[in-house]
Amino acid sequence: MNNDVSPPSDLPPLTPAQKRQWRKIEWDFHVRAFGEEMARINFLPLKKRKAAVAEMIDHARSKGVDLSRPALGVTP
Amino acid sequence: MIPYAELEKFFCDLVAKAQGRGIPCAITSGMACVHFGVAATTKDCDVLCNVEKSDDFRELIAETKLRGLLPNYRGNISPPLDARWMRGGWTSHFTWKTAPEESCLDIFGIAPRGSSAWEDEIFGLYASRHTVAEMKRTNRDKDWPYINALGIKLLKANDLRGCLHLYDADALSNAVATNPPPSWMLEARPSLRLALAGDERLADAIHAETVFWHRLDACRIQLYERALRPYVSAVRKVIARRAMPLAESHEIRMQCAERHLLPSPVAVHGFAQLVADAREVTSRRVHPDLMEWLPNGLSHFIGLS
Repeated sequence: MNNDVSPPSDLPPLTPAQKRQWRKIEWDFHVRAFGEEMARINFLPLKKRKAAVAEMIDHARSKGVDLSRPALGVTP
Repeated sequence: MIPYAELEKFFCDLVAKAQGRGIPCAITSGMACVHFGVAATTKDCDVLCNVEKSDDFRELIAETKLRGLLPNYRGNISPPLDARWMRGGWTSHFTWKTAPEESCLDIFGIAPRGSSAWEDEIFGLYASRHTVAEMKRTNRDKDWPYINALGIKLLKANDLRGCLHLYDADALSNAVATNPPPSWMLEARPSLRLALAGDERLADAIHAETVFWHRLDACRIQLYERALRPYVSAVRKVIARRAMPLAESHEIRMQCAERHLLPSPVAVHGFAQLVADAREVTSRRVHPDLMEWLPNGLSHFIGLS
């Protein structure tokens, strides 16, 4: 099994300034595309993020939101 | 209601067990997006499974209980989980009839729109960001923000393929200004040349690309839906509403599929023809000058036969 591999990168590592710039671009995009609350969740560390998503999904389901997808035989 | 955390653990355990048995497989779509930091509201799971290991994975699914319940195929519409049909791009649907909602699992053998073998790049239990982003180029508007978000994640991880997934003109311009894309990437996505040149047509070209991908997916789905009808009708006649174990249901589906289900509707239609169909529809919706900036699309049928 070829786990945890990604293609080797020939690029120089991102500088701290580039990292900051990408983080800002990412944050701005998430706020614009998903809303501020979801952006905040997306920027949490993995464990907290999964817990927040679980809480959000379970809350929606408990209020009757149907998150099931139809079985179509072919998936987009 | 089964809490999401329990469902996620259940599907992760299933994939881990499969990998432990030597079955290359990976969680993709919504659950993978959540893992990668782009929250999606899904409770069902999509898994990519190596085509040649379809039988092994089906046997594992058949013996895996969720809250004491064994699974089955979902409705009469699901194609069999078998290498012949998985290789042709079909998806198999499974369900555990938990209450009040069923818990569902979709299995792909081939990643739709994949330009490289998904098996070459697996991150633990998950397909790579690149694979997930390509799979998200659907005809559903709701999927597109996820592609862009995954593209940014790739670039943050110093993976230049992120440029292939940015559909936000500003972010794309910024990305290519920092690291000019290699020639293979410019060929794969011609609109990157506009980004490099700071051409003001970039945003329109990106819009044309999204129209193209929407149409390509819609044309693809049409082929599968048409091919599915006689099979569903045959399965419905034999199974009706009878409850039966997964193994028995599988045998019936195999018999029906052998007679009524084309293994690969896209291959029969022709990959080039499918791309031409999508381009034709796109040409009626975007300015003619933008057509030259569309991707050719032909390299996005990897593994499909």
